[in-house]
Amino acid sequence: MRAPTALRFTVVGAVALAIALMPFVLSDYNRSQGARVAVFFIAILGLNIVTGYTGQISIGHGAFMALGGYTTAILTHSHGWSTLPTLPVAAAVGFGAGIVVGLPALRFHGVYLALTTFAVALAVPQLATNYSHFTGGVEGLPLPSHTGIWLYGLGWSVAAVMFVLSWLLLRGRTGRAFRAVRDSEVAAASSGVSLAVHKTLAFGVSAAIAAVAGSVYVLVNAFVNPDIFGLTLSLYILIGAVVGGLGSLWGVLVGACFVQLLPIGISNSHTVSAQSVPVIFGAMVILVMALLPRGAAEALFWATELPKRIRRVHSSSTPQRLEAQ
Amino acid sequence: MRMRATAAIVPLLLAGCGVFLLVGSLESALFAQLTVSGLANGGIYASLAVALVLIYRATQVINFAQGALATFATYVAWQFIAWNMTYWLAFSLTLGCAFVGGIVVERVAIRPAGRRGSVLSIVIASIGVLILVEGSIPLIWGTDVRFFPSAFPARTIHVGGVAFQLQDLGTIGVSIAAVVLLWILFRFTKLGLAMRAAAFRPEAARLVGVRVGWMLSIGWGLASALGAVAGMMAAPSPSVLLQPSMMDGILIYAFAAAVLGGLESPAGAVVGGLAIGALLNLLGSYVGWVTPQLLLPAAFLLMLTVLLVKPSGLFGRTSVRRV
Amino acid sequence: MTRIKLALALAVVALGVSVSAGLAATSSGTPGVTAKSITIGGTFPLTGPASLYSDIPKAENAYFQYVNAHGGVNGRKINFLIEDDAYNPAQTVPQTQKLVQQSKVFADYGSLGTAPTLSTRDYLNKLGVPQVLVATGDSYWGAQYKKYPWTIGFQPDYPGEGVIYGRFIRNKVPQAKIGVLIQDDAYGQNYYAGLLKGLGPAKSQIVDVEKYAATQTDVSQQVVKLKSSGANVFALFALPTQTIDALAVATHIGWKPVTFINNVSNNPLFLYLAQKSGADVQNDISTTYLYDIYNNPKSATTKLLASILNQYDKGWNQLDGNNIYGLASAWTMVQALKNAGNPPTRAGLMKALTNLNEVNPFLFTGIKMQTSAGERFPIEQESLEQYKGSTWVPFGRVYTKVK
Repeated sequence: MRAPTALRFTVVGAVALAIALMPFVLSDYNRSQGARVAVFFIAILGLNIVTGYTGQISIGHGAFMALGGYTTAILTHSHGWSTLPTLPVAAAVGFGAGIVVGLPALRFHGVYLALTTFAVALAVPQLATNYSHFTGGVEGLPLPSHTGIWLYGLGWSVAAVMFVLSWLLLRGRTGRAFRAVRDSEVAAASSGVSLAVHKTLAFGVSAAIAAVAGSVYVLVNAFVNPDIFGLTLSLYILIGAVVGGLGSLWGVLVGACFVQLLPIGISNSHTVSAQSVPVIFGAMVILVMALLPRGAAEALFWATELPKRIRRVHSSSTPQRLEAQ
Repeated sequence: MRMRATAAIVPLLLAGCGVFLLVGSLESALFAQLTVSGLANGGIYASLAVALVLIYRATQVINFAQGALATFATYVAWQFIAWNMTYWLAFSLTLGCAFVGGIVVERVAIRPAGRRGSVLSIVIASIGVLILVEGSIPLIWGTDVRFFPSAFPARTIHVGGVAFQLQDLGTIGVSIAAVVLLWILFRFTKLGLAMRAAAFRPEAARLVGVRVGWMLSIGWGLASALGAVAGMMAAPSPSVLLQPSMMDGILIYAFAAAVLGGLESPAGAVVGGLAIGALLNLLGSYVGWVTPQLLLPAAFLLMLTVLLVKPSGLFGRTSVRRV
Repeated sequence: MTRIKLALALAVVALGVSVSAGLAATSSGTPGVTAKSITIGGTFPLTGPASLYSDIPKAENAYFQYVNAHGGVNGRKINFLIEDDAYNPAQTVPQTQKLVQQSKVFADYGSLGTAPTLSTRDYLNKLGVPQVLVATGDSYWGAQYKKYPWTIGFQPDYPGEGVIYGRFIRNKVPQAKIGVLIQDDAYGQNYYAGLLKGLGPAKSQIVDVEKYAATQTDVSQQVVKLKSSGANVFALFALPTQTIDALAVATHIGWKPVTFINNVSNNPLFLYLAQKSGADVQNDISTTYLYDIYNNPKSATTKLLASILNQYDKGWNQLDGNNIYGLASAWTMVQALKNAGNPPTRAGLMKALTNLNEVNPFLFTGIKMQTSAGERFPIEQESLEQYKGSTWVPFGRVYTKVK
């Protein structure tokens, strides 16, 4: 899945520039929407590391977002912290939680792991409701409000930082180890890659990133309560990751736009009733999975490969069969 | 020798639980009533869990849409009854519709995702089905909460200070019947064998003439029909009622039950469901620090603990991973 | 390849639709007010687990359309935007921002739910957007008006309701052994605090308090415990689903205490469902503040109500008391808009709502809506009612909330 380096950097640069310039043509409301896309971008990035690159299915990333979100909320609301310093703390809390989840996950495989993370995703909001003394319970905690442009800037700066850090991590030895674990645990282990260390590390890093997404999420809403971290959130992150394309950083933006902007777009177009929105969104998810089961990254790959394939087909008589990953 | 010992642990454990429940019930009417009410809930979890297990066994897929499909089917049954059909006619027609519906869902939504995708593509497609189906219910039938009649007479039996609802006993009975039917299907019929082969070794199955695609579709159809039964057993219960979100809470515990019992074991699903139902009631009443919010985490903690000891569930078989 | 191309095309279209749909045109002037119209909006659970309340905005809209067909408000038609938040504050916040910033509503009206309303309260008050007649019975809206002057509630608050039940038990059920079922959070605590206050010295007669989590639909465990505590009075302060379940379970296990059902869950529709599920709800007690159409089927008000709903909210469920709630709330809003100035201003709206002295035709006969600068609970009176046969029958006098 490697398009030429120059092309990749140009594309990234162009997209980054577009994202940076967008707020100037957007209304304040749309800037907040843009910040919400950033939240999903970061969360999907995190999920991709543990599921796309290390092959461990997690349906529970909403739980890690909740941990990060509540960390930020409690620190700013009850302890008077200012906003930005809470983000690294949230990341640390997330990392710790990720390790804690990752350890028993060593025992489980495939569907059992998926369902365990599913259980965690459901349990965390219940815990938040229970310990209402700290968390404000169902009535939640308010957070300081910010303008749309501030939120957009924060969201996308954090997203950019997370993206670069992830890219650096994944292209290095650790990233190769992750991919080795995903592709064949036995081969990886026999090549000296410690399964326990890397699987847990993947969870830790992934959860840390998701926790930071959670912090931005509660800032965008200027409010936190258990209901905002429901099962829907975890499912949407997963949908975004798969629609974007697992095992690739390029589709993450597409995935984030898909789950955040598409439902809003359908309801804002006022062509259908509010109650029809889930039906249309569900249909679109099915459609995308039918047409692009491996996600947008696959399409992007085809798009970048196409010029080369045309040249190759013309120059050789043997048809090349493309291995999808 | 060691294999034998560990194989005996699960039945022993279950026997122990059974004895515990029995003794406790004889000691205290409160304990007995709590257990009975808990088992009643458990019966509902079990019936949906069996559908989940069937789909997993037949297609190796976790079907997130199972609850929504069950709810939709129950609404269809309600509609038939509203059109003045007798309960049993509506019931049977609904089973047929659910069977067909399951096949349609598999062919239209799931198969295309599975063709070139990974397991996760299929999971996402099933989530898409969940969102679509659950969203379509209010569009067709509105958001009102409705009453759905029970297959069993609404009678309470009192035995020694403990009240049993005939409806609840019926639900548990139906779940057990479903398990038995599935056992017969998989063990003694050619169809069952073909379905197992298609799930376990699709390529080899194709070579001996099994039409793998159809086996998957039938798996979805049967699971969908079972889900419809679960929905029609659950909806009459006053804690459920016929509403679009009726299966949401049940699905969660049904998953826990299925995992606890072993994802490939229908009997395990029933045992798991009953265990979770009873345990939640007893935990909530007798263990002081378990507040209502902690019940769900407690149920999952139990599931997790069992999995740590037996990673493939109580009745699951640890598969040998091929190199 | 065609598949990929088709998918890419779809993606571009989808992205284009979403982005462009967001960039809506804006207008200037008093937000939401033109020479011919007033635009208001609110957030409601049209989808999701709380969607059973989705008929409230429909009834409200029916009343607004009726008013529009009869001259509107000082010649202006009311344009009511109903947005879905699925009871999730993460949706309430952006939907409210959309109403304020994109749709430029004059006021946020009737938004439903405590947590959703709390999540947008700071935002709306900061911008000076009225957050009025919110559909929740928490006390915050009336009690915290100094900090949040742009927010005001509508229905009687939960603690006040609890006080009424407490006083009744203390005065009329002297041998009471009270068992309580409440939600394990602030909602439940609200009722319990009111109950204790109303009971006064009789609070020592509470023998058991059981709690349930909002996500728990089955409360059989709690009801079984309550029965075994020997309680002969049941204070059932729950949400509709748990109320129906509790009533049915109580009857199934052979427990028939004097039962008090909270207002939120006393909808005739829910009592009907409880009865179908085997509950014996005869003589259960609750409170009401809405007009009683069931015992006055031929009155002018009932005929008006039916004609409005039949015309503008076809298929309305006659058992569902939420429809009357919606009409009562919408009536209040129209009155306030009429008195908010011509053209209406936001400050004028708040002034009208904090100087109410009205008899609302859709409220219980004998109740008057009253507010003043320091007294921001529009409805503080309720009547007791008892379930007889298949209807609620009011009895006793109209109670006014004890402060």
